[in-house]
Amino acid sequence: MCFNTGDPMGVVGFPFNRWHMDMGRLERFLPRKVTRRHVIGGALAAGAGITALRLAGVHGSAPAARKVAAAPKAAAAAATSSWASPLEKETARVTHLLRRTGFGATPDELDAAFKLGYGKVVDKLIETPPAEPPPVPGMMGNGVDVQKLQQWWLDHMLATPTPFAERMTLFWHGHFTSDYRKVGTDQPYIYWQNLTWRRMALTDLGSMLMKVTTDPAMMRYLDLATSTGKSPNENYSRELLELFTMGAGNFQEGDVRAAARGLAGWRLPTAADKSQTGVFDKRRAFTGGPLTFLGQTGPLDTNGVINGILASPATAPYLVAKIVHHFVSPAPEARYVQRLSDEFRASKYDVKTLMRSVFLSPEFINTDSYRSLIKSPTEYMVSVLKALKAPQLSKLILDADETMGQMLFDPPDVGGWPNNDSWISSNTVIARVNFVNAVLGRLRSLPPAKDVHQLQLDGVLSPATEKLLGQANDDRTRWLVALMAPEFNLK
Amino acid sequence: MSKDLVGINELKRRDFLKHGLIFGTGASALAAGYAAVPDAFARAVYAAKAEGVKNDNVLVMIQLAGGNDHLRTVIPLQDPKLHDLRPQLAAATAPMALPLNASFGLNQNMPGIKALWDQGKVAIVEGVGYPNPSFSHFESIRVWETGDPTRRQVEGWLGKTITKNYDSMGHPLTGCACGTTNVPGALRDLHATVSVIDNYRSFGFQGGSKVENAAAAVWKGTPGIYGALFDTAISTAQATIASVKTAASRQTNAKYNDNVKLVYPSKTELGAALQLAAALITGGSGVKLLHVTLGGFDTHQTELNRHNDLMGYLDQSVAAFYQDLNEHGMADKVLIATWSEFSRRPQENASGGTDHGAASAVLLMGNPVQGGFYGQAPSLANLDNTGNLRYNVDFRSIYQEVLNTHLGADAKEILGQAFDRVPFLKAAATAVAGKA
Repeated sequence: MCFNTGDPMGVVGFPFNRWHMDMGRLERFLPRKVTRRHVIGGALAAGAGITALRLAGVHGSAPAARKVAAAPKAAAAAATSSWASPLEKETARVTHLLRRTGFGATPDELDAAFKLGYGKVVDKLIETPPAEPPPVPGMMGNGVDVQKLQQWWLDHMLATPTPFAERMTLFWHGHFTSDYRKVGTDQPYIYWQNLTWRRMALTDLGSMLMKVTTDPAMMRYLDLATSTGKSPNENYSRELLELFTMGAGNFQEGDVRAAARGLAGWRLPTAADKSQTGVFDKRRAFTGGPLTFLGQTGPLDTNGVINGILASPATAPYLVAKIVHHFVSPAPEARYVQRLSDEFRASKYDVKTLMRSVFLSPEFINTDSYRSLIKSPTEYMVSVLKALKAPQLSKLILDADETMGQMLFDPPDVGGWPNNDSWISSNTVIARVNFVNAVLGRLRSLPPAKDVHQLQLDGVLSPATEKLLGQANDDRTRWLVALMAPEFNLK
Repeated sequence: MSKDLVGINELKRRDFLKHGLIFGTGASALAAGYAAVPDAFARAVYAAKAEGVKNDNVLVMIQLAGGNDHLRTVIPLQDPKLHDLRPQLAAATAPMALPLNASFGLNQNMPGIKALWDQGKVAIVEGVGYPNPSFSHFESIRVWETGDPTRRQVEGWLGKTITKNYDSMGHPLTGCACGTTNVPGALRDLHATVSVIDNYRSFGFQGGSKVENAAAAVWKGTPGIYGALFDTAISTAQATIASVKTAASRQTNAKYNDNVKLVYPSKTELGAALQLAAALITGGSGVKLLHVTLGGFDTHQTELNRHNDLMGYLDQSVAAFYQDLNEHGMADKVLIATWSEFSRRPQENASGGTDHGAASAVLLMGNPVQGGFYGQAPSLANLDNTGNLRYNVDFRSIYQEVLNTHLGADAKEILGQAFDRVPFLKAAATAVAGKA
């Protein structure tokens, strides 16, 4: 399908004086209409791969004066249909990889990665042990100050030499999720849980399931701590099956009840236990005879529940699909998910193997994958501060996270955070733009913005972004446009 | 709307109608589970189709997220079975209840709603549920949001209502979610444009029109699969900012006096969300369908105090909201309804809480309501094989009554079939300019 929409394009390129003083004039050159191209792009981009505008070259010393009018007209007309993927280039692939596994990369980090090459960068990401965060500033005794804990994690995201570990920790925080409100702040449980997911982020699912079951924060969050064999609490059992491993529709109500009985018996550690995991108390366990769980009848304990889950063919695809939605594509092909799932299961659910396969898969770097994901608020805000070399402003994230829709340690519900398109609404577009504006307002000096379109946006710009950047004649404006633009919100 | 607001609003409708088939492609991509974005193109199609606002009634849906324990909301006073099933919870609950009649009382923390009941402004529908209930929060929420117990539909029932009855293009405040950051499922529809306002004070661009215009320019020009989503978000943001500004300038102060104590509770975000809703309604923004949420109802553990607190938050927020509307002379127009994905199991657990249940009770409040009990409270002595209550009113019966009688819409068109009538509203909406 082809529609000629007649938008004024390819007409940009002559310098204005202080564009912000003359927005009305500038606007005449901006695409003023939203047209069905968006819809077509939305519906078909996954299959079509239409050409779009790409600014591959670095634009000399005077970006405000560059001309795009020479671009072929056909390409310009289709420009808003889909992004022109630059991923056939090794350097673009490496940048794409680092964007999806971290919070953006500095020019130095990029150079080092380009020298290594894509495959070795994957190795390094996967094989480097996570850098442990420093102690939480001001944390005394057992109590947790959630604001300090949030800032501590954000500061670590900004400072860490292993950002991939933080991205994985954030993923697991949204998956095996808990919120501080229910967990409470009288004990360091929610802090421990964060340390746990960082250390276990690339281990095997079986170990993670054992760990999450006996994690004190989770024991409080989903009530396993108060469940007994005599009067089981189904909360953890249900979500373990539905949200953590198998997905709705792949088990029966009876399985929830059986697992609730089989899992009962754990209690929270006391000071005397000197332990950061739950303690099994036989007297609280179920004693009533055989249980039927996922088709198997017999005695059932925590190991039995976890083994039953790992034996289910539903488990690997459920988790793999979630990983893929976060790291590759919002709409992966079923056979891709199946291929990764088969490998995942064959590797005894080794997450490291899975993530390596994901990053080395052709699907990760194909045309459709480019800018097919939306940065979560945390990723977005940390990326903004990293791009501006302004880690000292991490506190501004705590002012903006709520209205942008993601507060660390405080997911909306046991399903964690929804992702991609759910991040964007009339409310959150305002919040994202305001955040960039607030950060810029706090900075006296800025990193040079001359090459911001290359360094931060791959040189792949929409006509509108390209035009605004072209008109901007100071660094502050260029940073504002670049960081609030859709290009920077996508990954 | 300001003249600067461009984008979708300048579209020529006939162009879209000519190519109406195309949006079938988008729809099938969505049905396959693709990013569910409100679609700019489809918005324009529907703008051409439906211009008429049926009447000026307003609906406010309050979601009690997590599964509200209706047996601690509308409490059986005489049923000895309740004490057998819930030795801890019932003993501490029933004697404190605020009696509505000989058999039922409201939770002790609900004096405001009790006062509305005494004025005949509260309808309680008992035994509300659907066949083969899901005990999953997310599945059951989706059932209630889409009005589809078979879980095939993806569009929300309120979103469909917007699409089929209102011109939401350029009027994104037709449907509005207050106190949240994204569009709730009930309001989602491919062809509906909906506003989301988390907090009124932060709902605006800092940095003035320069920043706003630049943001609008780049977000409206987004290529790729999220183009429509980004365009809709920025267009809706701008239109809503403009509408809210206009509404605020039009708003007249209500005639408060010393006898009126209008206090929204500060301990719950529901209070702020309803206060914002009231401002939108009384300011004449044209808002029709509002959605707000109170969370925390998944009371598997130590339910007693937590649930009592939640009932208090609901009560104080609704009472202040009603009073606010009343002082502005808008109370006749506004129907307030609660919904929750399920209720709790009648039998309490070892944690002093209750697990996921089935049949629930729905509260409908406001001047349009014909007060009293509807449906039947399910028997505590005749539980199903999961130990849960048996429903006797399909939840879609309630939607049907709201749609037909309050909003003047065609419920069958939205729900796909007709249900038994539950006449909890006073009279059919007047001046209905409904479909032939």
